Amino acid sequence: MDLSPRNEVENPGEFRRKVHRNRRWAVLAATVVLIAAAGFITAQGLRNATLFFRNVDEAVEQRPELVDRRFRIQGRVIPSTVRSESGVTTFQITHGCVVAFVQHTADPPELFTSPWIPVVLEGQWVSSQAQTVAGVDTHHFQSDRMLVKHTNEYASVNEQRVSEKLPKGFLNDCAFEVSASES
Amino acid sequence: MTQVLGNKHMTATPATRVLGVVALVAVLLMALLGLVVSPADVVQGQAVRMLYLHVPSIWIAYGAFVLTSLSSALFLVRSSRRPDGGRHYDRLAGSAAEVGVVFTGITLATGMLWGRVTWGTYWQWDARLTTTVLLFVTYLGYLALRRLPADPRTRGRRAAVMALISFVNVPIVHFSVDWWRTLHQKASLSVGRRPEITGEMYWTLLYSTLAVTIVAIWLIVHRYRVIRLEEMRDEEALEALIASRLKEDDVQA
Repeated sequence: MDLSPRNEVENPGEFRRKVHRNRRWAVLAATVVLIAAAGFITAQGLRNATLFFRNVDEAVEQRPELVDRRFRIQGRVIPSTVRSESGVTTFQITHGCVVAFVQHTADPPELFTSPWIPVVLEGQWVSSQAQTVAGVDTHHFQSDRMLVKHTNEYASVNEQRVSEKLPKGFLNDCAFEVSASES
Repeated sequence: MTQVLGNKHMTATPATRVLGVVALVAVLLMALLGLVVSPADVVQGQAVRMLYLHVPSIWIAYGAFVLTSLSSALFLVRSSRRPDGGRHYDRLAGSAAEVGVVFTGITLATGMLWGRVTWGTYWQWDARLTTTVLLFVTYLGYLALRRLPADPRTRGRRAAVMALISFVNVPIVHFSVDWWRTLHQKASLSVGRRPEITGEMYWTLLYSTLAVTIVAIWLIVHRYRVIRLEEMRDEEALEALIASRLKEDDVQA
């Protein structure tokens, strides 16, 4: 039985071709948009995903290659080293028993005040004489963007613990002395 | 739709009405536990309450996408042997994917708000966030593919293949925080690892996962029935068209 419209369409073949053509374009357009979106996301991700940040020890070790390059550095903020003056916050971060002096020129996130909080900083090495708890360094890290990297540990405010917990042995075998409970 | 199908065709049954009430009560209790009873976090303060919606949402999304993949695989394997062409597998895959996409969207939205408070930014292109948004876009593509006009079997087969390809990203999203360095923290709940969460917060999180699961089941059941009703509408419209054409032919004869 023929179920195609009888009277409305003068040239059914041409009408069918037109419908198919329009449908094909719609499918093609949707496919292109989705592939473009997926490609953009993948490209953005691949650029950052594999090495979102360098830990302090790696950033210091790779300093000759990183000088004059913008990158992200990660470490825990040593609580007793935090100073703030005229919109500039200075502090020291540590990871793998290596310490870096940081000069940060933007507003830190709210959680920055939590002792030993891990932070990811965006900026670059700048040549200077920086005094850290581990000695004198030839560079400091000049940062203008800070992200707080909180852990997957959650504890009630009703507990006695008042700060971010340092991972077990985080400061063991380090050549410098900082109290782990310092706040 | 009820005009076409009649009032007897509805998505609710006494059982799903009970399930709906249970889901509503469960969500209200979840809100009470998450917003009032559970304590603030020692580091994150009140922002930690986002945990009770963010984490269950992505677990439900994972579960929904597992269901989509299993149903799609069954559709591909068994569709030729079933009298109805295995269309119930296709419907289940579609309804589960819709719910999975909704909960992935909730995960992204709550994650961005949580990130603004804790990280200090709504968005970063780190591995976890990037793979999650890719998951969202891929399954949106899957749902778009389901809407393309084709005969049910061809459409079901195309969608099933797309569902199986899309699922590859699910384990990548979950393990991205272990495989790469990310701003996102490690998984809060993992099989075989003791969670680092205080008792009352841990129990609230587990309860929230249960409550959101009930809501997801309720949604999947209703979406499954809506898809079935849409198919019935199309079939009835086609039957009506054939009947009117036969009548015309009889008159002409």
